[in-house]
Parts: sequence; structure tokens; C-alpha cells
Amino acid sequence: MSRTEIDAIPVPTVRAPQEAKRALPVRRNQQRRKNALLGYLFILPAIIGLGLFVVYPMVTSLYHSFTEWNGLTPARWIGLDNYTEMFTNDPKFWSSVGVTLLWVVMSVPITMITALGLAVLVDRSLKGVKVFRTIFYLPVVLPAIAVLTLWKYIYDPTYGLANELLRDLHLPTSLWLGSTHTALASIMIVGVWSVGGTMIIFLAGLQAVPSELHEAARVDGAGAVRRFFSITLPMIGPILLLQLVLQLNAAFQTFNQVAILTKGGPGTSTDLLMYKIYNDGFANFIASPQLGYATAEVWVLFVIVMLVTLLMLRLTRGRFSAGEES
Amino acid sequence: MTTTTTPRSVPVSQRVPRLVSRIAWYLLCILLAVSMLLPLVWMISIALKTNSDINQIPPTFFPHEFDWANFVNGPADIHFYRLLLNTVIVTVLSTFGAVASSMVVGYGISRIEFPGRRFWFATITGSMFVPGIVGLIPLQRLYIDTGLIDTYVPLILPAFFGSPIFVFLARQYYQSIPRYLDESALIDGAGHWAIFTRIMIPITKPVWITVAIMSFQLAWNDYLNPLVYLQSSSKFTLSLGMATLLGDQTGSEYNYYMAANLLFMLPPLILFFLAQRYFMEGLGSLGTISK
Repeated sequence: MSRTEIDAIPVPTVRAPQEAKRALPVRRNQQRRKNALLGYLFILPAIIGLGLFVVYPMVTSLYHSFTEWNGLTPARWIGLDNYTEMFTNDPKFWSSVGVTLLWVVMSVPITMITALGLAVLVDRSLKGVKVFRTIFYLPVVLPAIAVLTLWKYIYDPTYGLANELLRDLHLPTSLWLGSTHTALASIMIVGVWSVGGTMIIFLAGLQAVPSELHEAARVDGAGAVRRFFSITLPMIGPILLLQLVLQLNAAFQTFNQVAILTKGGPGTSTDLLMYKIYNDGFANFIASPQLGYATAEVWVLFVIVMLVTLLMLRLTRGRFSAGEES
Repeated sequence: MTTTTTPRSVPVSQRVPRLVSRIAWYLLCILLAVSMLLPLVWMISIALKTNSDINQIPPTFFPHEFDWANFVNGPADIHFYRLLLNTVIVTVLSTFGAVASSMVVGYGISRIEFPGRRFWFATITGSMFVPGIVGLIPLQRLYIDTGLIDTYVPLILPAFFGSPIFVFLARQYYQSIPRYLDESALIDGAGHWAIFTRIMIPITKPVWITVAIMSFQLAWNDYLNPLVYLQSSSKFTLSLGMATLLGDQTGSEYNYYMAANLLFMLPPLILFFLAQRYFMEGLGSLGTISK
């Protein structure tokens, strides 16, 4: 029944039309309530998931970070002791923070720039471009562990491919993962080898840039470099920013590479914070696991990641929204 | 794209530089492609070397003779097929869970009007930025207390609760479907569940295939979760099993190891070549999260 129908009904008394008019909102309310119920039923899995896999772990781990806890006996509240121990009495903590920062500051820009370069390279419609795109993307398809175990052997000083190539080119060989000077860089090379995923995301962004913009700029006499910096970069800015944030997030949590390739060594040269947390919380078989201490470290890492993420969003937000408005 | 169309009007003076730049482009691409493929070619070569060939100093790039039996002996040597079976169980179940949950949640959040849906969408998407490491220790504890440690439940369960990335992907796709489709169905008296199962599931095929492929990859490649939640080696997945074996492996058996490693790589590779379009589409649409 629509509103006009109700209004058209002859009016016997004064009260009747009011009731009739009220009937409709009631019905609409029912519909709304039904939709609300249904809506929440549909998204219920995600709400439970948020509670179980995000909120619950965050709350309990925040509590445990203030306790001494080995997982066998009940956790004992020790206030800020874990944090003071970490900041003042654990040299390994500071060295792993340093290694983590070095890793993030070096690997994220290198990956981003390489991926963008490759994306620009294959943003053409020349014959065979799809083959090249596929080849550049291929390493990403392969299981991370299969790739890392392969690279571990590639870096083997005696039998590995890396030194074999250097010998063929009559260059001095390297210890690769075996030296404190080259271990972190060697891990980075593996990352550069598998930038294909980021490349595809950038490529999708590049292809969404309207070609008329480039045409117009070309007519106005802008060269390729100028067009890249004045048109392409601002247009794909939001995609770059999001990737930057996600990559920073992932880089702070790098684990597989270190666990397979170096186990944090040699010395502490690749002992990323994430790997130290794993060792303190799970793998320390000699002493009992220090779960309280490890969760405190998790929270330090968490706060660092969140601060960096917010900082990135803050620093770049004004720029991109200004670009969109103009 | 714009530089490649060659209209007839291009003067001769521009054709030559264009040809040069094109040749340079091909040379650069080929050089990069070769260096990308080199490690994989080398791996195949290792997998085919004989036991004596593998320890030769200095090593040669290609095998002296091809030992195809490595692809039989290598996997048998390390109980590869049990690891494979475990991985398939985990992967199939969590892929099913990821597709089902993200499609249902995505529908609710994009096609049903209800108070708070913007809030929930923002919260679900925002939780993408919470580092996964936060959950590791509390959840391991939870699984120990509930007796679920060393089972596949911890590896499979999260997929059934709508992972943020997949919910986001599904929601983006739903948003692109015209409203009148479900509105006319609603007028005809169909409920949301009927619209979801009869109308939406068929027309959202591209996105749920994309989600299926991405969650297949996630499960197939996962290392940290099995490492933390599995204990007995008979339950190990391929990632965990292969990584553990590398520690035990002596240099003399790398041909066996690489042969098994190639088989480990094969299923995702086959899937990729069968459904390349969906890989690319999924990644491409991930770039739109910021919009």
C-alpha cells in the first residue's frame, strides 16, 4: 500500500486517517528491523572473527605483557618489569630493533621502486608484453618456503649459483648469507626477485590513468619524464600510498626469510624483531618460554607499526586529496 | 599504450628513434626475464643431477646426465606425499571457508541496508592493518587450553570468519552490481537469502574465483601458523615439512630435495596458468582499497 492510496480512502471519522497513516511507518519499521537482523546475521561471521582473532588476542596479550608467564604456571603480574628489562637490560632487543629499522628502510623503498619501474616497463602494448608480465610475476606464484629453500642453496658459497656466476664472470666470490656484511642484502635480493605482485597492482593503476591526459600533455610539449612525474605519479598516488603502508606493515613482520635463510645470524646481523619474538616466545627450549616477555615485545612492535602507518597516512593525506580536488 | 600505435602520418625522422627505443625495450625485458628465470632453471638442473654430479667441485650449471628417477626417489625419501595430503586437506577446507564466509559477509555489508553497516565495514577493513603477530601467542594458548593444538583446526578456522581482505574484495564487486536486480527480486517477494544464493552467487563468479585462488595461495604457502600450531611431524604441511627437512639435509642430497621442491611448486603453478586472469584481476582490485 502506498501513501497516496491511504490518503484517497474516504475519511469516516477524524481518528481513522491518523491510524492509517501510522500503520505505514510501523510497517516500514518492521521492515527496517528485519533488515537490521538479517544484515547482522550476514556479517556475523566477520564480527565473531574480529572478536576471536583481533580483539580477544589484543586484550589478553596486553594483559600478559605485564606478567611473568612461562605458559605452564599461572601468569604473575609484574607491572612494567618486562618493558624496563627490554629497554634497559636486553642488548639483543636494541640490536634487533636496529636491524629491523635498517631492513624496513632499505627493503621497502627498493621493492617499491623496482615494482614501479617494472610496471612502467610492461605498461605497453608491444608484442610479447604479456609473456614478460607473466615471467616477472612468476616468482610470486611459487610457495614462499620453496623459493627460500632454493635461494638458500643458491647462496651456498661452494655449490651455489650465485658464486658460480661470479666465478664465470671472473669476479671475487662472496659469502652471501654467511657474512655479517652481506647477509641482510642477500635477503633483500630475494625480495626484489619477487616484486611481481606489487608490480601487477601498480600496473593496474597505470592502466587506469586516462590516456587523454598523456596526449594533452604531449601536445603541450611535456616530455616522457615530465609526464611521469606530473601525471602518472599523482594519478596512481593513492595506490602507491596504500602499497607503501601495506609493505611497511609486512616488512616489520618479516619472518620467513630470516627463519629459513639465516636464523638471525651470522651474529645478530639479521635478527629481526619478529624473529626474536618467535625465539623468546616459542623456540627457547633451554630456558622455559618467556611468553610474558615475548608479548611485551609484540606490543612494542605493534605500536611501532601503528605509529609508522598513521604517520604515513598523515604525511601523505593532504597531498593526494589536494591533487584530487584540482 | 599511447606510444605504440603507429599512425601512417609519422614522419621518417621519428621512425628510426622509435625503432631504436623498441629494440632497447625488448633487450631490457629479455635481460630481466632471463635473470628472473635463471634461479628456476638452475633448480630444475639440480633436480636432474645424479648423486655424484651434485657434489662436483666446481659445480657445472647443467647436469652431465639426467637422472629422472630423482622425481621418484626424492619425494619418497622425505614422505612427500603425506605432507602433500596434509597440505591439500588444510588448503581445500580453508579455501572453502574463505569463499563462503567472504561472499556472505560481503553481501550483507553491501546489499542489505542496516544501521551500523558503515561502521562494521570500516572496522573489518581497518583490522587488515592490525599485525597478525599480535594474535600468535594468545591464540596458541587458546588452542592449547581447548585441546585444538596440533590439529588442523587453528589453520582452517580463521578462514571461516571472513578475512578482511576477502570481505573487502567481495564487497567491492557487489557494489558494482546494479541495485535494480535485487530490488525487483525483493518486490517479487524473494528474501535476501534467496537473492544471495540464486542471483548473486552466479553473477559474482569472477570475485569468488579470485578469493578462492588467493586463499589457496595463502594456505598452500603458510609457514608461520603451521610452525606455531603443529607439533607432530606426521601432521606437517609441505611448507613446514620442507623447511624442517632443509635443516637435516646434507649437501649430498640436494638433487632429491630440489626434485621434491619442484613438485611442491607445481600445484600453484598449474593453477596460475589455468586461471591467470583471476590472479591479475584480484591483485588489480586490491589496489582500489584506498578509494
